[in-house]
Amino acid sequence: MRHATPDDHPGTDGPSLSRAVLVRRALAAAGVVGGGAAVALVADEAGTAPSPDRDLRILRFLLGLEQVQQQFYEQAVAAAALNGELRRFADIVARHEREHVRTLEQVVGPSSSPPTVRPGDAIRDPQAFAATALTLEEATAAAYIGQGAHLTTERITTAARIVSVEARHAAWIRDILGRLPAPDAADPALRPAQATDRIERLGIVE
Amino acid sequence: MSSSTDGVTSVPEPLTLGDIDRDEAVLEGIAGLYGETRAQLLRKAAFGGGALLAALGAAPPAAAASRDLAILNFDLVFEYLQSSFYVSAVEAGTVSRMAPDKRRWARVLGSHELAHVQILKKVLGDRAVRKPFFDFRGVNESEDAFTRTAVAMEDLTTALLAGQAPRLQDRNLVAAVFSLLTTEARHAAWARRLAGATPVVSPFDEPKSISEVRQVVRRTRFIAARPRTRSRNRPSFTG
Repeated sequence: MRHATPDDHPGTDGPSLSRAVLVRRALAAAGVVGGGAAVALVADEAGTAPSPDRDLRILRFLLGLEQVQQQFYEQAVAAAALNGELRRFADIVARHEREHVRTLEQVVGPSSSPPTVRPGDAIRDPQAFAATALTLEEATAAAYIGQGAHLTTERITTAARIVSVEARHAAWIRDILGRLPAPDAADPALRPAQATDRIERLGIVE
Repeated sequence: MSSSTDGVTSVPEPLTLGDIDRDEAVLEGIAGLYGETRAQLLRKAAFGGGALLAALGAAPPAAAASRDLAILNFDLVFEYLQSSFYVSAVEAGTVSRMAPDKRRWARVLGSHELAHVQILKKVLGDRAVRKPFFDFRGVNESEDAFTRTAVAMEDLTTALLAGQAPRLQDRNLVAAVFSLLTTEARHAAWARRLAGATPVVSPFDEPKSISEVRQVVRRTRFIAARPRTRSRNRPSFTG
């Protein structure tokens, strides 16, 4: 369970950093592991104005999500244990996530500590694969929705070109699972710690 | 003679696209998708009046907030277009003739677009443009044409919203636009899968500008001239 963090003063680096430490401790206390320092630093900069520095933090966080997806789907493709439409899904979505990673790396540079994904049975068992993919796509889309408005003008486009594709992935896997592909008239947002939490619960990120 | 006192409402001379469209961007329009030959550019296509012009034309540079209004009002026109298209398909019986899975898609899509209209009208308050007059030219009567057009509209709305998100001054609106554009994308992927097509083809959805979108909409000729009078054919006076 995530601890509530106090709202911070906008602007200066000092309060933002101590806030990041606070959040990192809260996340550690909550048992959220992995993801790298970038995740904790992003967590909840309420009241901070968009800036190139903040862009980097946000995009590094989103890059982390894309990397988890890329690794998951690429390992699914390599294992070649899925059949039919799920195999096609993994093939196509792996390619897309790879492109997303490439695009974000062009902006923020390659990450110093990319996440390590050990998917276990989730790349072999169709039900486990579909459920994992669903969580990944929905959490990623919601994370973009949560952060999009905090980006500088130029980077909003970077995010907007990607988030709709994540939503299409989500609709596809939902339909395969027999769930409503478009459950809401307006899709929900997640804060970084919430998105990370959902993904951590999958148990596939070391 | 027309006057406002005898039951006849006369609409002021409608503004034409030619008055406000200065771009020459060429894009494949929705018309291309259902096999119509490329329509003549309808420079004489009429709009409903000053409010719509304000929505589509450029806002004065000094007033960024009013640019937000213009952007939202253009988005609202699009949501009116989508929701009205869905309603017209219901009225034509097209939706009820669909197979259950397909019908479910159409109904969810329609309810979402209607919700989007309500959301934008709420945000805009009394600055919201009036709903344009639409003529869907039978496209709402064929399930195949309706589906292909609806998918094209969803993709186009996604591209429009993605294009406008960075131009909005109010960051709350940016967040709202993100959560709307993803819904549109879901509808499109869903429809493609129902049609047996690959639901997601490209790793990126490219944004489109308002002028590009305007061009596409023009080609469809869906936004029609508002009838000039609403006369009930009663004589002004007897005797």
